[in-house]
Amino acid sequence: MLNITNLHAETAGKAILKGITLAINPGEIHAIMGPNGAGKSTLAYTLGGRPGYEVTAGSATFDGADLLEMEPHERAAAGLFLGFQYPVEIPGVSNLQFLREALNAQRKQRGEEPLSGAEFIKIARAEATSLGLDHEMLKRPVNVGFSGGEKKRNEMVQMGIIAPKLAILDETDSGLDIDALKAVGHGINTIMRKPDKAVLLITHYQRLLDYVKPDFVHVLADGRIVRSGGAELAHELEREGYVGIDGVAA
Amino acid sequence: MTLLALPSARDEAWRWSDLAALPALADARPSGQPRSVDDLWIDISGPRILFVDGAYDASRSNPGPVRIGQADADASKHALGRLAGSTGWSLSLGRDAASDTIQIVHVATGGANHLAAEIMLDEDATAAIVESFAGEGWTNRATAIRLARSARLMVARRFVQDAGFQSHADTADIAQGASLATISLVAGAADSRLDGHLTITGIEAYAEAGGALLGRARQRHDAAFVVRHAAANGQSRQIWRAVADEQAIASAAARVEVARHAQKTDGEQSLRGLLLTRTAAVNLKPELEIFADDVKCGHGATVGELDRQALFYLASRGIPPLPARAMLTRAFVADAFARIGNDAVREAFAETADRWLDV
Repeated sequence: MLNITNLHAETAGKAILKGITLAINPGEIHAIMGPNGAGKSTLAYTLGGRPGYEVTAGSATFDGADLLEMEPHERAAAGLFLGFQYPVEIPGVSNLQFLREALNAQRKQRGEEPLSGAEFIKIARAEATSLGLDHEMLKRPVNVGFSGGEKKRNEMVQMGIIAPKLAILDETDSGLDIDALKAVGHGINTIMRKPDKAVLLITHYQRLLDYVKPDFVHVLADGRIVRSGGAELAHELEREGYVGIDGVAA
Repeated sequence: MTLLALPSARDEAWRWSDLAALPALADARPSGQPRSVDDLWIDISGPRILFVDGAYDASRSNPGPVRIGQADADASKHALGRLAGSTGWSLSLGRDAASDTIQIVHVATGGANHLAAEIMLDEDATAAIVESFAGEGWTNRATAIRLARSARLMVARRFVQDAGFQSHADTADIAQGASLATISLVAGAADSRLDGHLTITGIEAYAEAGGALLGRARQRHDAAFVVRHAAANGQSRQIWRAVADEQAIASAAARVEVARHAQKTDGEQSLRGLLLTRTAAVNLKPELEIFADDVKCGHGATVGELDRQALFYLASRGIPPLPARAMLTRAFVADAFARIGNDAVREAFAETADRWLDV
């Protein structure tokens, strides 16, 4: 589904990703862990196409298409979802309005008919219920006045409504209390743990992996994947820390 | 050639306006072929009045309580308002009277047309007026508003001409406990100059002047409003949103004057500008002149661009750049219409703004 080969990227003139190679197949959940400054968020933003993140070498294909040639909104319509570490507040735009516009924009780009207001509201309510987000919050401006946990639940509701093929979740677990963490884990499992979908879970800590069991764990350090393994690698990292892993500076 | 005595940009109150097109428009003749106005009527019950090039079209109007003929717009001191003359329309409601929302459509076909208006509400009377300006040419209006004790008036105006120039000047006296809200939306392709001088003459009265100025190409939009508190315990709100794209210049000057005896005045000014490109310009000038010592007057003026993080967030959810820009701009101007009480009118104004954004 996603094939990244020797990806190099920089931001603000500084090289951050220094040759990442990673293949994610349908049905797989990959976790990327690593110390602060390793390039985890840069990897997410580069794959999402954020302006200011420039690819200097390498390639990334998504379902065989050149991901790096696509505009950010085209990547979304192709089935890529980027979950934000810090979801952006958008005053004056309600969650429902935003999501309906997003979903219909994606459908239009894929040549599908737009959903009516009633069809959309039904889907939105079902997803909010499934993730424990108060329906009233769907009417509120996007993320404005939401707590950290509510913002991340809202990201999951968006993911449920948009129903992507691949979700890249950037530290979705940061700043969450245990209930919100469970809800987010439940969201990822319910929405994305399917044979035709895949997840790239970027996290600093192992704790989200108690709820979402990864098939593969990779350690990112100084812009490279320095080690890969199964779920047990996350436990090892939790026990022993990143120091000691080859390529991680003490 | 008509000799027009127009203020120049050297005059501080007119420094952001460009009146250069007016002499030629004053000399031009209207074509007399108006565009269709069907899209300008909002689907609500109530009187409907149509003016074509400033002339009343009786066959397509249902004036209700509005009278056509003499009107004293009380604009002799205003450089453009004084040209409005002494004929036009008037609304006079007696004590406790209430009118359905009155819609007035002004369509112009070129040249220049001038019209005066007078609105007088007696004690406890209530009215709402929606005016729409469309077509081309120079459309010049002046309106005098007098609200007696506890009267309430809302005037919402849409300026959506395709070409030419739109000028409007309000003067208002607001007596004890009375309330006036004027809300303007400029969202066409013609230049504009809007003026207002609202005076709170009685205690515990309310005055609001605000709106949204949307400009692109080389348009100039200029709003200059003064609220004068001449009595105690009054409240005023001036909420302006100025959006400029391409080479447009959108300007808003809002002034609050508080007389020495107008204690406990509560004034709020919120002026915000949005530059959609760096070649556009927004000028904002909040002014406060306060002689009373026990007042609360808040003011804010900010100009910025669309939030790039928000744009990327919308893109990451599949929304292409132009709709994303429109969505954030719509949210930016929404505050300006929030106080239009009638849902159908508010939605019509939002739709008019949307059409401008979607071009």
